[in-house]
Amino acid sequence: MNAKLETAATAAPTAPIKRRERRNPLDYSSMRWMQIVLAGNFMFLYFPILALVAFSFNDSKRNITWQGFTLKYYEKAWNNIALHDAFMNTMTIATISTLVSTTFGTMLGLAIYRYKFPGKALYDGWIHLPIVIPEICMGVSMLAFFAAMNIPLGIFTITVSHIAFSIPFVAVVVRARMSGFDPSFEEASTDLGANQWQTFWNVTFPYMMPGVVAGALLAFTLSLDDFVITFFTSGPGSTTFPIKIYSMVRFSVTPEVNAASTALIVITLTLTITAMTIQSRSARRQGK
Amino acid sequence: MIKMGRSTLSGVTRRNFLMGSAAVGVSLVAGAGRGQAAEEKRVNVYNWDTYIGEQTLGTFNARTGIQVQYDLFANNEELYAKLKEGNPGYDVIFPSDYMVELMITTGVIVPLDHSKLPNLKNIHKNFQNQAYDPGMKYSAPYMWGTMGFGYRKSKFDKAPDSWGAVYDPAQASKYSGKIALLGDQRVVIGSALKYLGYSMNSTDEKQIAAARDLVIAAKKHIKSFAEDNGQDLLLSKEVDIAMEWNGDIVQVMEEDSDLSYVVPKEGSNVWSDNLCIPKDAPHPENAHAFINHVLDAKVNAEIANTIHYATANAAAKPMLLQEDLDNPAVYPPEAIVATCEAIVDVGDNTRLYDEAWTAIQAA
Amino acid sequence: MEDWRKSKAAFAIFMAPATFWLLLFFTVPLAIIWVYSFGERGPQGQTELAVSLENYARAVEWIPLKILWKSLWIATISTVICLLLGFPLAMGVAFAPKRWKNPLLLIVILPFWTNLLIRTYAWIAILRISGFLNFGLEWAHGLLDAGFGVIGMPGLMGEFQPLELLYNNSAVIVGLVYVNLPFLVLPLYATLEKLDKSYLEASLDLGAGQWRTFFSVTVPLTMPGIASGVLLAFILSLGTFLTPDLLGGTDSMMIGNLIAQEFGPSRDWPFGSALSFVLMYVTFFVLWLRATVASRSSGVGEAG
Repeated sequence: MNAKLETAATAAPTAPIKRRERRNPLDYSSMRWMQIVLAGNFMFLYFPILALVAFSFNDSKRNITWQGFTLKYYEKAWNNIALHDAFMNTMTIATISTLVSTTFGTMLGLAIYRYKFPGKALYDGWIHLPIVIPEICMGVSMLAFFAAMNIPLGIFTITVSHIAFSIPFVAVVVRARMSGFDPSFEEASTDLGANQWQTFWNVTFPYMMPGVVAGALLAFTLSLDDFVITFFTSGPGSTTFPIKIYSMVRFSVTPEVNAASTALIVITLTLTITAMTIQSRSARRQGK
Repeated sequence: MIKMGRSTLSGVTRRNFLMGSAAVGVSLVAGAGRGQAAEEKRVNVYNWDTYIGEQTLGTFNARTGIQVQYDLFANNEELYAKLKEGNPGYDVIFPSDYMVELMITTGVIVPLDHSKLPNLKNIHKNFQNQAYDPGMKYSAPYMWGTMGFGYRKSKFDKAPDSWGAVYDPAQASKYSGKIALLGDQRVVIGSALKYLGYSMNSTDEKQIAAARDLVIAAKKHIKSFAEDNGQDLLLSKEVDIAMEWNGDIVQVMEEDSDLSYVVPKEGSNVWSDNLCIPKDAPHPENAHAFINHVLDAKVNAEIANTIHYATANAAAKPMLLQEDLDNPAVYPPEAIVATCEAIVDVGDNTRLYDEAWTAIQAA
Repeated sequence: MEDWRKSKAAFAIFMAPATFWLLLFFTVPLAIIWVYSFGERGPQGQTELAVSLENYARAVEWIPLKILWKSLWIATISTVICLLLGFPLAMGVAFAPKRWKNPLLLIVILPFWTNLLIRTYAWIAILRISGFLNFGLEWAHGLLDAGFGVIGMPGLMGEFQPLELLYNNSAVIVGLVYVNLPFLVLPLYATLEKLDKSYLEASLDLGAGQWRTFFSVTVPLTMPGIASGVLLAFILSLGTFLTPDLLGGTDSMMIGNLIAQEFGPSRDWPFGSALSFVLMYVTFFVLWLRATVASRSSGVGEAG
């Protein structure tokens, strides 16, 4: 079963040799026009990031003209305790929110794909609501709710809200992934004597995985970057990175803001790569 | 959820952890545990960013042993939205003039105990009886300033000292596409009202409509309603004249000597920020101690010299930087300030401004 | 053992956590705002509960409708561009060798781990008169000018005039495309990745060209992913307010800005709530329209 999926995923390299000689028509990544399109796309994605990284080394108080190279804004950002706290808060919230919303959202996406139940269309519309609702409206509603329930604002309320608005994003992606799943794979697995639990983990789950990863990335990105809802649900001591940035930027974007953002990208990237490496190593050890 | 509190490495104390876990089940925490007698050595300050001295918090901690938890907001409306449903736990906040008035009428802030604020005597007499809070019952004045034009000197024969520079088509057409106004309904419509000779706080439907039409007519020359970044537009030469708050222009004047600031002669907005204590503050004693500290002449001078804003503190004056005192963008001539008005909350008439502003944007 | 795919208990276990969470921490709060939308603004901007449809009447007046219409247009254009850019990007990642997939995905998402505000300011630094793009153009212009000088036609290019790229609706669209790209690319990737490549091979073997294969095999088979991605990008563009605020000109107000204005400076929460609900109804109408059109146009797979 797994083998069949593997073949599908790696069809290109294992294609018949004759075809490879005249270049595999599905090996898009080696086609010139595709490379040009992708290069253009990545330029579009990274041009602004390069601009902001470049300015973080600019020896001027503002991001207007290049005045020379300096590392002093990194030093300044490094010594800015408030920035550290904001960073830690953001990471804590984003991690918990991603874990919880990915779990719940995946289960939801799977259930909507799998089950038919009365009022499904309505339910489907309902879970899209958090995506549809304007952020500020959701922020205000959360604030009103927590105030009415006498729940003190802080990391807890921010995380709760982030999970709420991330779940639908994960569910939408997982469900889109599952929509083409062929249930005969599962049947074949059970026919071959695997129990349901094994079938789920060995057949369904691996198939679903890219959707889960994509959903988790969306959830993490949403949480890391959210300002509006976070602002309304934050309390004393729960200033996050975006809140800090928004208040800093009121007085214009200084290279310090850029330095802090650059550091944030580097740290997040390092953490993610580490996590991915550990995960793929342990996956290999388990022989998956 | 309890796990969350533990895994939070920094910035979250035991107290927050307790709050978080209490929130899971019961909702009894809000009023409880805030004993009057012995306050914990802590004060939660909610301020604008870069709006305090470099040493203020450190000297406060050294003097009193109280730890400052410092959080940030970006505008008055956010501050109000946050507090109007109940105080999330802040002890000292920094609202502007009209917001103080609004917060008094809606019961968001509580009266100050003057016996705990001996340094209130340092406040300049001009600020002791502001219309929004006569006698400083609820608010201790902090910094003040004006709204006006930042402009590129080399592009102007003389300083654009009238709102006509943007609202008179003959003048504005010379700078077509090189003008930025603020993205703020009250000050933009207010400036047009001033140009027409009315009050910035007009509640007359016809006057506001006239101001609206004036701005709509000027729109073809205006590049952007800048979201409080007009100073950047000036510095990068995107525009030659920008309606802005003085403090923002002061900052870019340090970088580019070709930039200057002027308050139009028809009069403009004068604003002032204040220290207040919100209702249900968990540490009112410490809040008073903090406000009194900020009002100290020496502490206050250090703040003003760091952030280059005009202070409302008369006792601090001898210690202020001469360059700030001489800078008309920081301390404009008194005659000009006399023509300026503070923004006042206009109650139900806010809707007139709201609809005029939406019409301007959609036109 | 009962098959979990048919078991009611399994269904409940899968549905319960998310349903509970969204009920308690989204729907109940939203209900408060729904009640607000029938209320009245007090003189100081308090929300006074009432049963009045006035806010809805205001929300469908000419000016808000005009702004809403404009927002729908901008969201549509930016979503279409997003799709044109995002499809090859998603394909590039999905068709890459297996060990490259996750790293490539990371490369795609990485720019979005920078703060939205900072990214938008970076676009300002690129697009403004003294921005990187104009610097590049000026440099190219200088090269060309020198070139024409060499062949004896100096000054043919004339003086370099920097382009005014910021503070207009095109800048807003560029900003929106940039901000919402990952929301389109990720669902699309998740569907493209599972695409059984033997279908494509069959199509190619049968003599269909790459384009024909793309439009008659790849697109129909990945329709659920396209639909979800377009849906996310469109809805998020529709409700945006930061991008038009920072990159837009004097006529770039979108419905999200109007809603932010009501919750912010105008302190008219009831009207802001009503506007939010009108926006929601319009969005659902668009979704319904899409579903109807999709079901009518010969069964192109499951939509949404």
